[in-house]
Amino acid sequence: MSLYEVPSSLSLTTALFTVITLQLIFLQAALVVAWCFTDIETGPGAGVSTQPNGDRFKIEGRAIVPGIKTQDWVSTARVLVEGEEYVGFLRTDGSFAVNDVPSGSYVVEVVTPTYRFEPVRVDITTKGKMRARLVNYIKTSEVIRQPYPLQIRASGPHSYFMKRETWGWTDFLMNPMVMMMVLPLLIIVLLPKVVNTNDPEMRKEMEQSMNMLNPNPELPDVSELMTKLFSGSKGSSKAGSSSKGTRPAAKRR
Amino acid sequence: MAKLILLWLKCVVLWATVEAVFEDQVGKFDWRQQYVGKVRFSHFDTHVQSSKKVLVATERNVFAALNTRTGELFWRHVDKTGSEGNIDALLQHGQDAVLVVGNGRLLRSWEINVGGLNWEVVLDSGSFQSACLVGQQDMVKHVAVLKKTAISVHYLSNGHQKWIENLPETETVDYQAVYSDGNGEVYVLGVVPHSHITIVVYSMEDGEIIKQVNMSVEAPWLSNIQASCVVVGQGMLTCVDSAGVSFYMLDLHLQLQMTQVPLQSLALEVDPGFHPVLLSHQPNLARQPLSEFFLQLGPDHYQLLQLNNGQIAAMRDFKPVTVWLLKHLLTSRAVEENLRKFNSVFQLYVQAFLKKDDSVGYRAMVQTEDHTLTFIQQPGRVMWTREEALSDVVTMEMVDLPLTGTQAELEGEFGKKADGLMSMVMKRLSSQLILLQAWIGHLWKLFYDARKPRSQVKNDVTIENLSRDEFNLQKMMVMVTASGKLFGIDSKTGGILWRHYLDNVPPNAAFKLMVQRTTAHFPHPPQCTLLIKDKDTGLATLHVFNPIFGKKSHVTPPALPQPILQSLMLPLMDQDYAKVLLLVDDQYKVSAFPSTKNVLQQLQEMAASIFFYLVDSSQGRLSGFRLRTDLSTEQIWEVIIPPEVQKIVSVKGKRPNEHVHSQGRVMGDRSVLYKYLNPNLLAVVTESTDLHQERSFIGILLIDGVTGRIIHEAVQRKARGPVHVVHSENWVVYEYWSTKSRRNEFSVIELYEGMELYNSTVFSSLDRPHAPQVLQQSYIFPSSISTMEATLTEKGITSRHLLIGLPSGGILSLPKMFLDPRRPEIVSEQSREENLIPYAPELLIRTEWFINYNQTVSRVRGIYTAPSGLESTCLVVAYGLDIYQTRVYPSKQFDVLKDDYDYMLISSVLFALFFATMISKRLAEVKLLNRAWR
Repeated sequence: MSLYEVPSSLSLTTALFTVITLQLIFLQAALVVAWCFTDIETGPGAGVSTQPNGDRFKIEGRAIVPGIKTQDWVSTARVLVEGEEYVGFLRTDGSFAVNDVPSGSYVVEVVTPTYRFEPVRVDITTKGKMRARLVNYIKTSEVIRQPYPLQIRASGPHSYFMKRETWGWTDFLMNPMVMMMVLPLLIIVLLPKVVNTNDPEMRKEMEQSMNMLNPNPELPDVSELMTKLFSGSKGSSKAGSSSKGTRPAAKRR
Repeated sequence: MAKLILLWLKCVVLWATVEAVFEDQVGKFDWRQQYVGKVRFSHFDTHVQSSKKVLVATERNVFAALNTRTGELFWRHVDKTGSEGNIDALLQHGQDAVLVVGNGRLLRSWEINVGGLNWEVVLDSGSFQSACLVGQQDMVKHVAVLKKTAISVHYLSNGHQKWIENLPETETVDYQAVYSDGNGEVYVLGVVPHSHITIVVYSMEDGEIIKQVNMSVEAPWLSNIQASCVVVGQGMLTCVDSAGVSFYMLDLHLQLQMTQVPLQSLALEVDPGFHPVLLSHQPNLARQPLSEFFLQLGPDHYQLLQLNNGQIAAMRDFKPVTVWLLKHLLTSRAVEENLRKFNSVFQLYVQAFLKKDDSVGYRAMVQTEDHTLTFIQQPGRVMWTREEALSDVVTMEMVDLPLTGTQAELEGEFGKKADGLMSMVMKRLSSQLILLQAWIGHLWKLFYDARKPRSQVKNDVTIENLSRDEFNLQKMMVMVTASGKLFGIDSKTGGILWRHYLDNVPPNAAFKLMVQRTTAHFPHPPQCTLLIKDKDTGLATLHVFNPIFGKKSHVTPPALPQPILQSLMLPLMDQDYAKVLLLVDDQYKVSAFPSTKNVLQQLQEMAASIFFYLVDSSQGRLSGFRLRTDLSTEQIWEVIIPPEVQKIVSVKGKRPNEHVHSQGRVMGDRSVLYKYLNPNLLAVVTESTDLHQERSFIGILLIDGVTGRIIHEAVQRKARGPVHVVHSENWVVYEYWSTKSRRNEFSVIELYEGMELYNSTVFSSLDRPHAPQVLQQSYIFPSSISTMEATLTEKGITSRHLLIGLPSGGILSLPKMFLDPRRPEIVSEQSREENLIPYAPELLIRTEWFINYNQTVSRVRGIYTAPSGLESTCLVVAYGLDIYQTRVYPSKQFDVLKDDYDYMLISSVLFALFFATMISKRLAEVKLLNRAWR
């Protein structure tokens, strides 16, 4: 087993090597091109952010929750830059500054458990020029400018909870199942009152129309079939007559 | 097209509102505990008489205000972890608290009533030495910060710098302390080690050097001013030498010569081997310190001294301090017992205050070695205790609670073999009787409690009345903290039921907690084993305990003289139903615990099928071993990942208690795609050593742990860690940072056997000729993440969710459905049939998916999931700085009635129908009768 397996692991490592070397060659070429564009197009590239002990800058801004006093929410709020990589706190007037941030491109977020703030992407050039833009994770180079120093306005409280389904009469009545049950019921109750069923002519007419509805009169009715099955030959005639309706019986009286 | 996608997304989102909390469920089955960590600095807020605050700055970079009455947090600010958020000093004046953060990098002032920031300034670089508030004419307006090479003074009101001066002769002099007593001068004290003291006096106004003294004050015994000197009385620098022989005194205003006072002249003697420490107090920062001061002579021995006209007089001896505390401060029995449990008092903060009747009252906050904070008020009342060790939970397990007597009896009925129809019936009847009895007892208790006022009804959970509930939702959480303190916490209420402090734990220990015997094997007690391993030496010890009561087991664990490389729990059990723990030492020898004859025999029989793997990340080596019958081992495979190119970051197997219900997935065309369910599969994550953003990459390898066969490998270019991995069932989900697009991305790998199963009855790594089909897909995630875990349920029928801890403190429950490599780009009839969501590059974070709503959990370090007795329910514990416990229902509660089940509606409909039939029957009868009469 081991004899068989070791070569495969070796092949993997060599494969990795080749991948890396290829990557290196390709990237060196790509890097030169990228350098030219980054400063013009999208502000500084992230490559700048990894530079060691360069200048450190400050991201400033203000968070506003309309209609709420700042002291009610600032103690639970934090400013997170790129996850928890840099952390800032809010002053008692809602403004904030995140110190000691090297140049690069960062997503700045104000987080509180109660209010929702939209994140903003802040680009800092190596010279310390700042720019804020909308966060777009899909088209990362798209620039829609935002004001800098940042003005982040809360878009309302977080909605953490689902609404319980409340039960009301209208929901019940508008339920399709209920509609399906209620309408035939109404017809059954109301129709006999509207149409005089005792009139023999009318009855004939109705029977005709019923026959029209039933395309195949020879086809046995399911209920009839069942009653036949269970009650045997004796009940069959009875069942047949009862299924024809109670009206003849009523007439007999 | 975009519109179409949007529409689809909307549909999906509406349809997939699988899980969310309802508002009325708040606090019903979840709880949160917030911690701050081990206290480094603390101040009682005394600027207002009625203030109930105590400020604490902790080693976990947290600054918080605690309520002295209840111990709860008023507010808390969590800074960055690591040295950049490290709190160097805490000064308080009025309602401002000034912090020096990050080795003197930042100076922050907090408003302590609101908990908001006043100002924050960046200081010049240089390593921080000391800070003090500077007063002038009874007003404190400035703060002075001493760095290695410079001193700066800032306004307290806005943080602006008043002046900054470079210190003279910084090459030779080590400046260590700064002092001011309100006369418009700032004293900077430096020392040339083992030679002399240097004192530089600055004018407060403009930073001009008024006086500079060096060479003249000989102090060859002194190396650290802060450790051995204090300023007492009218500017008298008082030092004690480390050998504990003499006092040395120097008047800062005159600066002539140090006077030496031998300790023996005061009849004082330092405990052998103890470095004596001086303590003084400066109640008003604009005035001089008190002339009384303390000398600590031993770990538990203090001497109160007074300085009077240049003469030191001994006033009172406190030995031992804890006894003195017991006598004077804390007079009650309860406190005494509490204090006896203190292993040793670590830090003590005492606040004296005038009571209404002009007598002196004391409050004390005591921090002990096991990181417990206890707040004591004078008549000997423990106001509160906080277990700050829980701010650093390393690992945890959830253990089922034991059955009560009746429950055990009922369960026993099913376990035993059938012996005749009659006896079975009798047993059945008797168990029903027991149930009836219990039910009547319960009703009686309800009735009895209902008559009492509500406040008296207590439902306290104690160790005595612990028992499993119907659905096994309540469990014992066994938590292991970095300080070496173990806790047993009731998962329902969050109450700490037991605590146990292991006092010989090395500071850099790694822990592994294993459940050897569950509660299912009554009369045998449940048993947990904690493996404590020193990371440096590799030497390990075992602590065996009962997880329900926290007591150390009488089972003696084996001594482990050799460093331990690997430990593994086997499914084998000894005759006492304890699972066998195998320990592999650095000689590749295997020892078993317990190692009875029975176990060894079983091991010999099973040896051929026991394999294990070792990871050496420094050499990039993964190797697999097989157990021989004589308990020696044999290496059977090895994979080397060149450490100069990439390093192994994590190796994740599957959880052993995971069940997979369905072996395959039904496709749209009714065929079945079988999952590749290899229980021995390992996911190995590597990161490149080259961190340049264009060249960095992460790799993921799926290796069979038995054969070493590489099932799959993937490389994500232009990506870097930290990588978070979840490995479960037939999928691996990992998250990384894409350096190219500067965003976090998720990637999912799923493995399938194909349309046919090779051997459906048994899985063997040695007999799987076909490589699995691998599907992979990646997504954008709009936030970085702290940790990740998958939900786990009893039988694995319930759909899976990923629980993601975010830096914002939310715990997101993301349905695994969204991370499915089979999500199609173009919707077809079949994919719709399969309920596949069309592919969208970005995963959404919806606040409704936060299982902890606004109860944020700071710095989530881990999420622990455990199945409950209900298939629909998974118990979740998130731990970090805080602890949060809740339940999640990934596929809603399909096996119990929901919370909002409308009993009223159902019963009213039933009654209405019942009455309707009654009435209509009566009406029909009347009608028939009438007709008959006609």
